[in-house]
Amino acid sequence: MSESRLLTIAGSAADPPLSARDFRSDQEVRWCPGCGDYAILAAVQGFLPELGLRRENIVFVSGIGCSSRFPYYLDTYGMHSIHGRAPAIATGLAVSRPDLSVWVVTGDGDALSIGGNHLIHALRRNVNLKILLFNNRIYGLTKGQYSPTSETGKITKSTPAGSLDHPFNPVSLALGAEAGFVARTIDSDRKHLTSVLRAAAAHEGTALVEIYQNCNIFNDGAFEQLKTPGVRDDFVLRLEHGAPMRYGPDGARTVVRDPGGGLRPGGPDDVAVTHDAQTSDPVPAFALSRLPEAGGPTPIGVFRSVRRPAYDRLVVEQGERALAERGPGSVADLLGGDAWTVPEPQPRVGGGPA
Amino acid sequence: MTYVIGANCVDVKDLTCVTECPVDCIFEGDRMLYIHPEQCVDCGACEPVCPVEAIYHVDDLPADWLWHLDAAAEATAGREEVEPVPDPPTVLALPARPANG
Repeated sequence: MSESRLLTIAGSAADPPLSARDFRSDQEVRWCPGCGDYAILAAVQGFLPELGLRRENIVFVSGIGCSSRFPYYLDTYGMHSIHGRAPAIATGLAVSRPDLSVWVVTGDGDALSIGGNHLIHALRRNVNLKILLFNNRIYGLTKGQYSPTSETGKITKSTPAGSLDHPFNPVSLALGAEAGFVARTIDSDRKHLTSVLRAAAAHEGTALVEIYQNCNIFNDGAFEQLKTPGVRDDFVLRLEHGAPMRYGPDGARTVVRDPGGGLRPGGPDDVAVTHDAQTSDPVPAFALSRLPEAGGPTPIGVFRSVRRPAYDRLVVEQGERALAERGPGSVADLLGGDAWTVPEPQPRVGGGPA
Repeated sequence: MTYVIGANCVDVKDLTCVTECPVDCIFEGDRMLYIHPEQCVDCGACEPVCPVEAIYHVDDLPADWLWHLDAAAEATAGREEVEPVPDPPTVLALPARPANG
């Protein structure tokens, strides 16, 4: 760890500003033509110069899946890691190198199926990570099986009579896991996607960004309603902190409180609820995440942005405090004499079974 | 980087590429279509669906079509949402495609 700290190269105001081109690697991008991942990649490459960091101080860690090819195409440090384990690996990195900007790229299968535990524990710990969860509601890399976010009744190769599983709502899940920052955006809306990345990057702690991403081969048009001009206004609620929640053409429709405690679509003359992303109570954000189930629009934008101490900072501070109170210490003292020496193995004689 | 539409599109405008583009960055002029070079995400969805093989990645663009990148930049400059655009003078100057050509 001390060696890696020595290798730290801080950004400097004297560094020439970088452009999107600087973040393109020399690797040929290999996703299916028309994949939503291309749009996300272009938006991320366009955004990264805003961080004002040198490329060697930015790391993208991915798991397994189509989205997880992301680190190859960025000219930053990166790791294409183990299925579902990107949050765990990124946690180790963020804790040991708090000077780095650490990002996780994952998909609905990677993050919510095999990696479900790693995701929720990264969120509750509040490690300083930015998690980009590409949700296309299908397993694309393995050619079209239903995923943890596929809608009930989904007919796929692995569910020919329709899936029986109830899907995860990644925003609801993240809020239940105590995430301090939760947002949602759409692959093809570059401006919105960039604004959400900007907000996530500015948040200290774990930021979960769900990105609706079209898999045009195995689940084409999954989010078409939310994208089509002339249609999308009736189905998308654009969240803005401090603004009344209105949607529809010219903001004619409202979101109101439901007597049961949640939110529901209201009439044009109702008083719309004001969106407060910064309240410490996670209940309003959770209610917002359930709005489509109540017949309302799909919210995009920042659901919740609440600061609480970040895990990596706490770990570093705890180490420094212990060092100040107890001194550097030694491994031998730590073991307290409860140690033994393993003798050198004796060479075996003969050829019998071990 | 971007894909570029070349001269084969002139007076053809099949428009299949427009429906195929996932980020809606193909603009329609009177005589041909233009890919917004700043908005294109290099996904390549447009290239195989073009019936007249007019679309190339900029790195693979035939030398005599390189000027179409400038024409596309000129036609789409400052535009964000898809809308009809005027053809640049370089495109207007091209000879008309024969009726059965």
